[in-house]
Amino acid sequence: MIKWLMLLLFICCMSLATVLDPEFRKWRNGGNSSVGVLVALMGDSRRLFAHEFFAQADAYFHSGFYPTIFDRQKPGTESDLKEESRDKPEGAPEKEEESSFLGKPKDWIERFGRHFYPTVHTHLHGGNEREMLPWLKLSADLDPHELDAYLTASYWLRTSLNKPKEAEQFLREGQRANPDSYAIELELGRLYFYNYSNAPVARNIFLQGRQKWRKQDSAGAKPDPHAYEEILGEIVRADRAQGDLKQQLADMEELVKVAHSKDILQRQIDELKAKLTEPKP
Amino acid sequence: MSSSISWVTSRNPDAGNVFAIAGVVIKEMYRRKDFYVLLTLIVVITLMLASVGIFNDDRIVRYIKDGCLLLIWLSSLVIAITTAARQIPAERESRTIFPLLAKPVGRGEFVVGKFLGCWLACGMALVAFYFFFGMVAASREHTLPFLAYFQAIWLHWMCLGIVVALVLLGSVVFTAPSSNATICFIVVLGIMFAGGHLNEIALEMRGFRGAVVYAIYYAIPHLEWYENVRELIIHNWGLIDWLYWGGATIYAALYMGLLLGCAWLVFQRRKLTL
Repeated sequence: MIKWLMLLLFICCMSLATVLDPEFRKWRNGGNSSVGVLVALMGDSRRLFAHEFFAQADAYFHSGFYPTIFDRQKPGTESDLKEESRDKPEGAPEKEEESSFLGKPKDWIERFGRHFYPTVHTHLHGGNEREMLPWLKLSADLDPHELDAYLTASYWLRTSLNKPKEAEQFLREGQRANPDSYAIELELGRLYFYNYSNAPVARNIFLQGRQKWRKQDSAGAKPDPHAYEEILGEIVRADRAQGDLKQQLADMEELVKVAHSKDILQRQIDELKAKLTEPKP
Repeated sequence: MSSSISWVTSRNPDAGNVFAIAGVVIKEMYRRKDFYVLLTLIVVITLMLASVGIFNDDRIVRYIKDGCLLLIWLSSLVIAITTAARQIPAERESRTIFPLLAKPVGRGEFVVGKFLGCWLACGMALVAFYFFFGMVAASREHTLPFLAYFQAIWLHWMCLGIVVALVLLGSVVFTAPSSNATICFIVVLGIMFAGGHLNEIALEMRGFRGAVVYAIYYAIPHLEWYENVRELIIHNWGLIDWLYWGGATIYAALYMGLLLGCAWLVFQRRKLTL
């Protein structure tokens, strides 16, 4: 009798589980069934790990020369991975003088111990940047709102690793998770402009980015003003590539309102105006 | 008791006895399943890591090396601590220690034999682990920095020597092997995590407490030196200066001697009763 009762209880439990499990998943994921096992297992704590994995990518970028939790308050520990993963204007210095968080050794044990771990500030180069990618992917998987993971991975994929398709796929994932992000639009536009040489599509994407930036600005979200300048700058470059002088002039006039180097831009605007007023042969 | 101490100290140590005891420990290790289970785990997890496709790039290797080396370190610590922790208590529990010491085998020979057995067993496990690691790394990097790996495995082995000696000391101080293993695990992982930063903590504390922490900093064996070599291997930093490699070897040998000496002294004064 007890055996049959146990069997009945077991069947009841199994049946209840099949009913409750999908409901529970829906409740946890807010109706988004695409969120994976990690969310179910880790909940919101995964965001904490996402930051750690991004830091791990940074550590890899420096080939292991990276501050521990005991060093993070010291000067010279600021991450430069995000800075290095941005398109720089032509002629910008490649590398500033680096300061080390290590400082001078305090005793013979520390001096001796420094021969057993990386103590030189270097950056990955020559295609070795690929070594960061697993951590960036993991970081984005754990927290799809970790924008830096998408932007950094995409930058290295489309530049030194020459994998624009993979970069685009990853950015599209980021775009789906962060539909209001102007930064992803900017990166995606750059991919179309510099890698696919598709200026019309790139310009449209930059315009979408500009629209998203303005929307956030009008909502009082204080979006990054430097990113806005970058978006406008890229729109001007796309205009120039398309040979649309009138549109270029209009976009440059918009850019000059927020640009840091106003003098140079104003001179370019004047030159462009003169070119436009020149009688055609 | 006092007569047995004078008998032990008066006779010369016999290398044959030491190697005989060490041989038994090594045989015990390859008869037990611990090593095979850990090796299988390392192989399975590393191959799983390697099978993950990341942006269609099959040249990404450092995260695999990182994962594999982390597993190797954890597994080697598990083998070293659990093997060493059960040696003396098991001999006492099964009462085989009495005929062994009556052979006559000195208590010093017994301790050194047990240490040597555990240490050599760890070395054999390390060779197997690093052989697999080298194969995985070479399959992706298409190079095998033999000397760098040799330095890494050697320093790893030296570190395990200190750990084994520490655990043997613990096994004559603490009564239960489980408590000894747990305490040793915490101490070893604590040293690896924070040992190198105790000087900074001490400087921030100042005063008497700071002096105590600084004294601990100087007294503990700096196992983190040996563990840090992992980063050099993962990121292909090349060879460690042989002078410092030799210095780290001597440093480890001194600590092994010190800890074994303490273990012998404590064990010599311990009363063994039926």
